[in-house]
Amino acid sequence: MSTVGALLGQRLRRDRWQLVLWVGGTALLAIAAIGGVAQSYGTEADRREVLAAVAANPVIMLFRGLPSGAELDAFTLFLILPFLAMMAAFMSSFLAVRHTRMDEELGRAELVAATPAGRTAPLTATVLHGFGANLALAVLVAACFAGAGYAPLGSIVSGLAAAAVGLVFLGVGLVAAQLMRTSRGANSLGVWVLLVSFVVCGLGNALGTPSADLQRIESSWLTWLSPFGWAENARPFADDAWWPLVLCGIVAVALTGLAFGLQRVRDLDGSFIAERAGRLDAPASLGSPLGLVWRLARGSVVGWAIGGLLTGALATSLGAVIDEIGTKIPAVEELFAALSKGGSLEQGMVVIFFTIVGVLAACAAVQTVTRARQEEAHGTAEQVLAAPVGRVRWLWAFLLVGLGAAFAVCAAAVLGAWLGVQAKGADASLSWDALVAGAGQLAAAAVFLVLTALVFVLAPRLTIALGWVLVLVALLLGMFGPLFGLPDWVTNLSPVAVTPVATADGVDVKGLWWLLGAVAAGGVLALGLMRRRELAAGD
Amino acid sequence: MTTVIRTSDLVKRYGRTRALDGLDLQVDAGQVHGFLGPNGAGKSTTIRILLGLARASSGVASVFDAHPWRDAVALHRRIAYVPGDVSVWPNLSGGEAIDFLARLRGAAHRDAGYRAEKARLVDAFQFDPRKKGRAYSKGNRQKVALIAAFAVPAELYILDEPTSGLDPLMELVFRREIARVRAAGATVLLSSHILSEVEQLCDRVSIIRAGRVVESGTLPELRHLTRTEVSFDATDGADASGGAVFAGITDIHDAAVTDGRARFTVDSDRVAGILPALAGRHVTGLRIEPPSLEELFLRHYGDEIGADAASADEASAAGARR
Repeated sequence: MSTVGALLGQRLRRDRWQLVLWVGGTALLAIAAIGGVAQSYGTEADRREVLAAVAANPVIMLFRGLPSGAELDAFTLFLILPFLAMMAAFMSSFLAVRHTRMDEELGRAELVAATPAGRTAPLTATVLHGFGANLALAVLVAACFAGAGYAPLGSIVSGLAAAAVGLVFLGVGLVAAQLMRTSRGANSLGVWVLLVSFVVCGLGNALGTPSADLQRIESSWLTWLSPFGWAENARPFADDAWWPLVLCGIVAVALTGLAFGLQRVRDLDGSFIAERAGRLDAPASLGSPLGLVWRLARGSVVGWAIGGLLTGALATSLGAVIDEIGTKIPAVEELFAALSKGGSLEQGMVVIFFTIVGVLAACAAVQTVTRARQEEAHGTAEQVLAAPVGRVRWLWAFLLVGLGAAFAVCAAAVLGAWLGVQAKGADASLSWDALVAGAGQLAAAAVFLVLTALVFVLAPRLTIALGWVLVLVALLLGMFGPLFGLPDWVTNLSPVAVTPVATADGVDVKGLWWLLGAVAAGGVLALGLMRRRELAAGD
Repeated sequence: MTTVIRTSDLVKRYGRTRALDGLDLQVDAGQVHGFLGPNGAGKSTTIRILLGLARASSGVASVFDAHPWRDAVALHRRIAYVPGDVSVWPNLSGGEAIDFLARLRGAAHRDAGYRAEKARLVDAFQFDPRKKGRAYSKGNRQKVALIAAFAVPAELYILDEPTSGLDPLMELVFRREIARVRAAGATVLLSSHILSEVEQLCDRVSIIRAGRVVESGTLPELRHLTRTEVSFDATDGADASGGAVFAGITDIHDAAVTDGRARFTVDSDRVAGILPALAGRHVTGLRIEPPSLEELFLRHYGDEIGADAASADEASAAGARR
C-alpha cells in the first residue's frame, strides 16, 4: 500500500496546477451560469418562453441539457449541466491517459514497474487520483450552487451528476490507454467516445416527448445510452433523482475493472490495437515544404472545417427559434440588433454565428502557423532548411496552408448555411448573407494568420501562447463587446467584428479594406523579416 | 587542390558567451576531415554557420567559395547533412521521412536509381521504414538522416556526430558508406568526439577547443608534435630511479621503472636516434607506441579534467598495481 501512496503523491504533485485549472474552471462555469441566468432570464415568464421555444425547435437541445421546468435553479442546470459534465469528462479522460499510457510511452512506466510497485499499483494510484479529482469537482460545484442560495440537496446532486460522468470517462480513458499504443491514440479515442456520447444524449433529448405545458421533456431511449443522459436525468433541483447516477457508477466500475483485467495480461508497452504500419514510400505530394505542411495540418484542418459546417448550418436553421425568443426577451434582441446593424433578426443570427466561424477559421490558421514553431523547436525544421529550401519559401508554405485552412472552414460554413436554408425552407437570401459573412471572416482569419507569423519571426518563443491569446481576445471583444456595451472603437479592434455584413439594402463592407491592408502588410513584413532570421532552436 | 570549406577568424556570440572565438578551419576537396572536440566546444555552432542556419557575428566563412548565409539554397543542392540529434516527424513513417528529405535534395518521385539506393541503404542499416516517427529509438532516428543523406549523391557531406546511438555493427556500415563517397570524390566534414572513429576514417583532423581550432593537420603530422612512448623489460639494475637502465639513451623524458618495465618518452622525430642504444643492450619485450589520437586530444584537454580526477586516477592505478 505504501507504494500506491508514493505513486499517488507523485501524481498529485505532477497535476496540482492542472487540476486546479480544470476543477476551478468547472466551478467558474457554474458561477457564470448562475449569474447569466439571473441577468438574462430573470423572470419566470422569460424562462417559460425559452423552454417553450426549445420544445418547438428541439435542435437547440443538442447544445443544452434536459428541460425540467422553469424554476430558476432547474433552468440554470438545463443550460449548464451538460458542460459541467463535459469538463469533468475531459479532465478525467486526459488524466487517465496521462498517468498510464503516456508514462508508458515515455519510458517512465518501465522505471516504476521495475520497482516493487509492480504491474497494477500505478493503475490503482491513477484510479484513486482520478476519483479524488472528481470528488473535489463535485464538492466545489455543489458549493457554488449552494453558495448562490440554491437548494442544498439539488446542489449536491448537481455536483455528483457532473462527477459521475467524470468517473465514467476516467474508465473510458483507462480502457483506451490499454487498447491504444500511443497516448495520442488513446486521447483521440477518449475524445471520440466523449463527443459521440454527448451528441447521442442531445439527439435523444431532441427526440423526446414534451409535457403538455412545454416546460419539461422526457428523454427518448437514445438518451439512456449515454452517461450524459444519465446525469441529466438526475434532474437536479426538479426531481433530485439519484438512481440514474448509479448507472454511471456501475459503468465506471465495469470499465475500471476491465482496464485492470487488460493490464494484468498485457506486456509493458504492448497494446491490443496495434498502430497501423506506415507507408514504405512517401506519396508524390510529399516532396516540398508545402506538401509537408499540408500533411502535418490536414487532420486538424478537416476537424475545424467540420466545426465550420455545423456552425454554418445552425446559423440559418436556428433563425426561426431565435426569432421567437428574441422578440420576447429584450436583452437578446438588443444583442442581435447591435450585431446586424439594423438588419432582420435572422440576418443578425447569421452574423453572430459567422463571427464564430471567423474564430474557428482563425484557430485553424493560427494552429497551422504555430506548427512552424513546433517544427523549429522540435528540430525537424533544421533538416528541411539544410536542404535546398530557403527560409522565406519555408515560412510561405505555412502561410499558404494556413490560408487554405481558413478558407476551408469558411467555405464549409457557407455550405452548411446553404444546407440549413434548404432543410428549413428558410428565406433563400440568408445564403447570400452567409456568403458575404463567410468571405468577410476569411479576411479576418487571414489577419490572425499574418499576426501569428509576425510573432513567429520576431519572438519565436512566444508564438504559440501569443497566437492563441490574440484569437481569444478578438473573440471576447467581437462577441461580447456589444453585449457589455463597450465603446465601438474597442469592439472594432477585433478583426472578426469589422467584417462585411449583408444588410437590408446591400453589403456594408465595414473594415474590409483595413483587414486586407493588414494582411498584405503583415504578410510582406513577416516574409521579409524571415529572410534575415536565424533558426531559433529548442524550448 | 581546391578548398571546399574555409573559415577565418569566425566569431559567434550568443549574448555574452562566445560560442566561436576566432575559428580558422580549412577543408580541402576530397578530404575526410575530422572535426574533433567535446560537447560544447563549438562544433555544432560551426556547422550551423556553414549551413546558413545561423549567421556569424564576425569573421569569414565560405563553402565552395560561396557565402553560406546568402547562397544557402544554391549551396544546399551540393551538400548532405546529418545532425547529431535527429528529430523526425511523429506521424510520418521512417520511409516517408527519408523520401521527403531526399526529394528536397532533388531525388525525383519515380527515380529508379534513387529507389534502388534507398533500398540498399535500408537493408544495410537494417532499418524498418514502416514505423511511425514517434516509435523510433535514437539510433533509428539517426538512420533516417543517414539513409536520406547517403541515398542522394552530394559533393560535400557535413556530418555532426552522425554515429551517436548506433551500435558497433551499424558504425561499420557507416564507415563503409564514408569510404564509398570518398572514393566517389566527395568531401566529408565529420564532427565527432569518438576518437577511434576519427582515427580510422579521417585524412586530416582539426581539434577544436573553446571555439577555436587548437591543432590541425594529418594524423602523422600531429603525431610528430607529441612524444612516442618506449618501454622494455628492465633486467639489470632495476631500481626505481632507473639510472643504470637508461644510461646512454639521450633526449628522453619521464623515464621510470615500474613493475619490472622501463618506460620513457621521446620526441616522435627522434625515435630513430635511440634505437642504436637500445640495440646495444639487447632489450627484451620492446614496445614503441606512437601517440594515439586520444593522447593528442588529452594534451589539449588534459588540464580540464582537473586535479581531483587526476588524483583519483592515481589512486585507482595504485590499487590495480597492488
